[in-house]
Amino acid sequence: MVARKRKRAGRNSEEGIPSPPGYSAIPIKFSEKQQASHYLYVRAHSVREGAKSNWPQKRTLFILNVPPYCTEESLLRLLSPCGPVQSVELQEKPDLTENPKEPKSKYFHPKPVQGFQVAYVVFQKPSGVSAALTLKGPLLVSTESHPVKSGIHKWISDYTDSIPDPEALRVEVDTFMEAYDQKIAEEEAKAKEEEGVPDEEGWVKVTRRGRRPGLPRTEAASLRVLERERQKRARKELLNFYAWQHRESKMEHLAQLRKKFEEDKQRIELMRAQRKFRPY
Amino acid sequence: MGPAPAGKQVCGAPGEAQMMEPALESTGKEGKKASSRKRTMSKSPVEGVLQPVKLSRAELYKEPTNEELNHLRETEILFHSSLLRLQVEELLKEIRLSEKKKDRIEAFLREINQRVMRVPSIPETELTDQAWLPAGVQVPLHQVPYTVKGCFRFLPPAQVTVVGSYLLGTCIQPDINVDVALTMPREILQDKDGLNQRYFRKRALYLAHLAHHLAHDPLFGSVRFSYSNGCHLKPLLLLRPNGKDKSLVTVRLHPCPPPDFFRPCRLLPTKNNVRSAWYRGQSPPGDGSLEPPTPHYNTWVLQDTALESHLQFLSTILSSAPGLKDGVALLKVWLRQRELDKGLGGFTGFLISMLIAFLVSTRKIHTTMSGYQVLRSVLQFLATTDLTVNGISLCLSSDPSLPALADFHQAFPVVFLDSSGHLNLCADVTASTYHQVQHEAQLSMALLDSKADDGFQLLLMTPKPMIRAFDHVFHLRPLSRLQAACHRLKLWAELQDNGGDYVSAALGPLTTLLEQGLGARLHLLAHSRPSVPEWDINQDPPKHKDSGTLSLALLLRSEGLTSVLELGPEADQPKAADFRHFWGSRSELRRFQDGAIREAVVWEAASMFQKRLIPHQVVTHLLALHADIPDTCVHYVGGLLDALIQGVKETSSTGEEALAATVRCYDDLSRLLWGLEGLPLTVSAVQGAHPVLRYTEVFPPTPVRPAYSFYEQLRERASLLPRLNKPCPAYVEPMTVVCHLEGSGQWPQDAKAVQRVRAAFQLRLAELLMQQHGLQCRATATHTDVLKDGFVFRIRVAYQREPQILREMRSPEGMISLRDTPASLCLERDNRQLPLLTSALHGLQQQHPAFSGVARLAKRWVRAQLLGEGFTDESLDLVAAALFLHPEPFTPPSSPQVGFLRFLFLVSTFDWKNNPLIVNLNNELTVEEQIEIRSGFLVARAQLPVMVIFTPQDRKSSVWTQDGPSAQILQQLVVLAAEALPILEKQLMDPRGPGDIRTVFRPPLDIYDVLIHLSPRHIPRHRQAVDLPHVSFCRGLLSEPGSLSLMPVLGYDPPQLFLAQLREAFGDLALFFYDQHGGEVIGVLWKPGSFQPQPFKATSTRGHMVASQGGELVMVPNVEAILEDFAVLGEGLVQAVEARSERWTV
Repeated sequence: MVARKRKRAGRNSEEGIPSPPGYSAIPIKFSEKQQASHYLYVRAHSVREGAKSNWPQKRTLFILNVPPYCTEESLLRLLSPCGPVQSVELQEKPDLTENPKEPKSKYFHPKPVQGFQVAYVVFQKPSGVSAALTLKGPLLVSTESHPVKSGIHKWISDYTDSIPDPEALRVEVDTFMEAYDQKIAEEEAKAKEEEGVPDEEGWVKVTRRGRRPGLPRTEAASLRVLERERQKRARKELLNFYAWQHRESKMEHLAQLRKKFEEDKQRIELMRAQRKFRPY
Repeated sequence: MGPAPAGKQVCGAPGEAQMMEPALESTGKEGKKASSRKRTMSKSPVEGVLQPVKLSRAELYKEPTNEELNHLRETEILFHSSLLRLQVEELLKEIRLSEKKKDRIEAFLREINQRVMRVPSIPETELTDQAWLPAGVQVPLHQVPYTVKGCFRFLPPAQVTVVGSYLLGTCIQPDINVDVALTMPREILQDKDGLNQRYFRKRALYLAHLAHHLAHDPLFGSVRFSYSNGCHLKPLLLLRPNGKDKSLVTVRLHPCPPPDFFRPCRLLPTKNNVRSAWYRGQSPPGDGSLEPPTPHYNTWVLQDTALESHLQFLSTILSSAPGLKDGVALLKVWLRQRELDKGLGGFTGFLISMLIAFLVSTRKIHTTMSGYQVLRSVLQFLATTDLTVNGISLCLSSDPSLPALADFHQAFPVVFLDSSGHLNLCADVTASTYHQVQHEAQLSMALLDSKADDGFQLLLMTPKPMIRAFDHVFHLRPLSRLQAACHRLKLWAELQDNGGDYVSAALGPLTTLLEQGLGARLHLLAHSRPSVPEWDINQDPPKHKDSGTLSLALLLRSEGLTSVLELGPEADQPKAADFRHFWGSRSELRRFQDGAIREAVVWEAASMFQKRLIPHQVVTHLLALHADIPDTCVHYVGGLLDALIQGVKETSSTGEEALAATVRCYDDLSRLLWGLEGLPLTVSAVQGAHPVLRYTEVFPPTPVRPAYSFYEQLRERASLLPRLNKPCPAYVEPMTVVCHLEGSGQWPQDAKAVQRVRAAFQLRLAELLMQQHGLQCRATATHTDVLKDGFVFRIRVAYQREPQILREMRSPEGMISLRDTPASLCLERDNRQLPLLTSALHGLQQQHPAFSGVARLAKRWVRAQLLGEGFTDESLDLVAAALFLHPEPFTPPSSPQVGFLRFLFLVSTFDWKNNPLIVNLNNELTVEEQIEIRSGFLVARAQLPVMVIFTPQDRKSSVWTQDGPSAQILQQLVVLAAEALPILEKQLMDPRGPGDIRTVFRPPLDIYDVLIHLSPRHIPRHRQAVDLPHVSFCRGLLSEPGSLSLMPVLGYDPPQLFLAQLREAFGDLALFFYDQHGGEVIGVLWKPGSFQPQPFKATSTRGHMVASQGGELVMVPNVEAILEDFAVLGEGLVQAVEARSERWTV
């Protein structure tokens, strides 16, 4: 292993670090003590013509393969030499959707365990991106002046953070519910207004509320109706009344036996293949 | 040393070993040695799986032929189902002798006949003068006492006839034996040869001479002596062919007297044929009392005279009826699977044939019946008749000179007379053996009557070795102690009858003694039958004490195990003296609450664990008291495995009491919740959802009493925090409790809003519990933790309609339909199915007190093999529950040990691929429903997980195995179980003591690619390890109760946190294995295929690096950096990362 390592190190110094087309590679390590390093693959963030993106074109740096111990703060620190940074966001996967994200509640969506991630770094000026693309590294995530917690340190601080403040939780719940109640009240008021009022073509919407409520439009309800119909029909039918019905039911019985026999034969075949009949 | 799970096939379950091949990753890594890995068995995934049958309409509805109709009708009348018919036919094909083999055997027999007839005769000598015997051969008989009057000469046999099963066509493979009777010429015998073993001496000498001459013949591969049915007075000669036919057949030569030589009236069970004066060297007591009868001795002589007549009798009945022969063969298999047919007093195939003949003569069996029906009728007869009370006889004549059945009942425990009316065929069968046969027959009949299970498999294909069938087993060693026991029990007459065989003489009285002593605790007592020895002709026959060991086995009644008291008669009754005599010094006079003063024996036992072992105390006490066998000679195997589920400092309990205490605390809490005032909706139900609350947590929780100085304190939230410079604090797992509220229309109809309202309930619950009951609480958005009496409960408020809300989908037309989503399924599982399962298993524990022990031992073992995280808790609990709910062909286990053995057996032999494990909790499923579930399973097999467990509440989806195990993990478990079972059984059956019982609990570590060694300082459950560690750390607990005003550290387990990080970061490259009960090592296995170079993709760069290979840019895992990441992520916890790079290449 040692030999292999030396070889790789040598190759790096001669040819530069291999990187996929369009990306440049920056080695990154946890601290001085580590020998081998991971590689960040970075490029300027760009999307196809016409597509919108949550991040400004030209000023955003897209980073792949961010190691699990690397936090947003440490990325900020490591990249600020390239130019003033506006924001750093770490994500599990590259972002493909266009919708802006809502801020998530920390009580109802606890932070998941971190693995390897991708990052979007927005610089204040486009020059920051080009400077970052030529970084040589290796970058150090944890230094003496800016230590990053890992292992026992991290778990203890995570545990401390996980103990919630009941008051803050209560406040959040109350605000949410107030907004929700208001929304519901508005919807109801709107529905009441519209009830029984024909639209421009003269159709009246039947709701569950009015004086003559309609059936709920659910799958279960429609299945129930079908089932009732079927039972009604089954009650009317006569079984084994005509000779041909008799004959057919006998034939059906025989067919069942045949089917069973075939199944059993297949089963036996399988057991024989597995030598299941050697008693000892 | 752990069992090596390398890729080799397991002999016990060859079918299973091939059953599951990796379904996800099928190819091994490049350059990896195929033989060293567990993932080597790869076949196409379609093979070996049952497919639903598809017949075309034309085939299904074509006109039936006559043959087909006949066949179908026959199946309906003669067999249970067509499957059973096919199975029976296959089995018979497998065990029947082939014609080819028969020809070879015939040829061998002809050769023997010629050679035997050519053995030269010798002149007459005194019986005691054995100087004529050549040097290379010893007399195959213990000649005690040596002096016998009479003369012996050798003449070739008057007649050589084949007798027994071979001629009848009921001989089955393997171990083919052909019995040959050699009729000794009348000239050899004298009058009164029946007396004082003279006939047996001559018989032995006859064989010795024969052996000497046949031994030199190149035709025979081996010539050895053995005993006929284990009877040590009747040696026989074993001849095996030479060369490649070595194991083809064993021919057994039985010398026998000429017909009508012995007068039957002299050999009645009431007659004496071994004189005390000769046997003991002293005249009988002078007062003219009678000599003791020698029924066994007489029977052995009679058996020899009846060899041929029995053969003729059986052949008239069996020869024309193939169904009867099939029945004999099936019953022989049935007996052999139960280890009932071997040794002295075994229930042999001959006895079964005779029994069938009896049933034919009483018209209970008809000659046109099929083998299956014969099997059923015989089992029915055995199950319902007691031959120890009402003997049966094949004799039809009503001759008044014949002895009465009562005479036989006096002399023998089991009575079944042959057609002559003189010979008891069951003379050597002990009462225990017969009761065992009866018990097995009853179980089998119950099994055949219940239509749900695969009767054939359980009845005829499942072995029932003693250690797996009985709850407790004990070995008596050395056997020579039994000689002393015979003297103590005054069994001189029996010794005289048995020709000095003290083992069989003492067996009957000993079993009676123990049966009486164990009383209500005992369901059945069985003993191993001494094995039949085989020895070379130049050796002396083995001594009685060398005939292996005597193992006795107890099947216990779990309801009888709870009492510590043996209640005797009232003190003034005459029976009291008997009671005192029986129990000796243990019997005490006691005054009871109802005022009675009685004799009683009280055993010391406080915990369930000790109560289970009361039979041990009873056995050692009675054997020492009455049979002079000290406890050093009794090796009791009943609770050896219990040590694995005992707590660190607990040696007197296996935790059932601690679990019960926790459940009591939970009951108190639920009462508090019901009575809580001030909640907007009242509590309607409280349900437990944690293993502790169904008695299956391996190590029950202990009340926490934290030492505050050990922790950081977060005063404003009333919580303790772990401190950096101290060892990791004790692990406290909150026990989940689901709390249902009364129904209300006020709940919002939006998933997010429901979440918020639930959070509000959690907060309110914490407030009220604190105010009204002073309990320390901590609320979060999803649960409320409550500290009560040192136990921490996690209460989760549930809203019944929430899964419904999560399922609602609106189609474009505005139709609302319900579709399962991951979130709704998860909620459904946690809030509905888990509590139901917990309460069902809680109920099971009340019925079967051993359930807790079995489930915990099983879980412990799986986790110790580092596979615990592949299986959910619930799935393993359900497998353990299946052992109790579907014990066939056994009875529900009453001790953790036997339950665990059966767990290993079930796991290693169950065909997970083609069968669902149906666990019929509360007996809710009918037979029809089970059949429906099975057929539904076949159709949906491809969508179901590898391991499928169905319960009445979960008939389609196998909730608890949905997320694991994967095919590889299950396969690994199957392999490990198949390795562990024989090792453990051998250890437990070893009379010299089991050795290190923890062997099978130590995991094999040589299969892992990387080992991450952890520092014990930060493993909170370090003391639970299989091998108690030498170092121990303070975990911040006080020994006496302290104040409980701060919430202890909950669920903080650094190894688990570390594993979660590892799995998140490297889950697609490697698998991680760990034993949560104090494991010091994490095993890492690279996934096959993860080292293969892949083209660059922005979505899968995790932990990879780009390298150029042959001019192309590809991605390979950055292994060196990853290995260093292991240490970085677990800083403080990881001691060393041991990369076994010789096992893999990048």
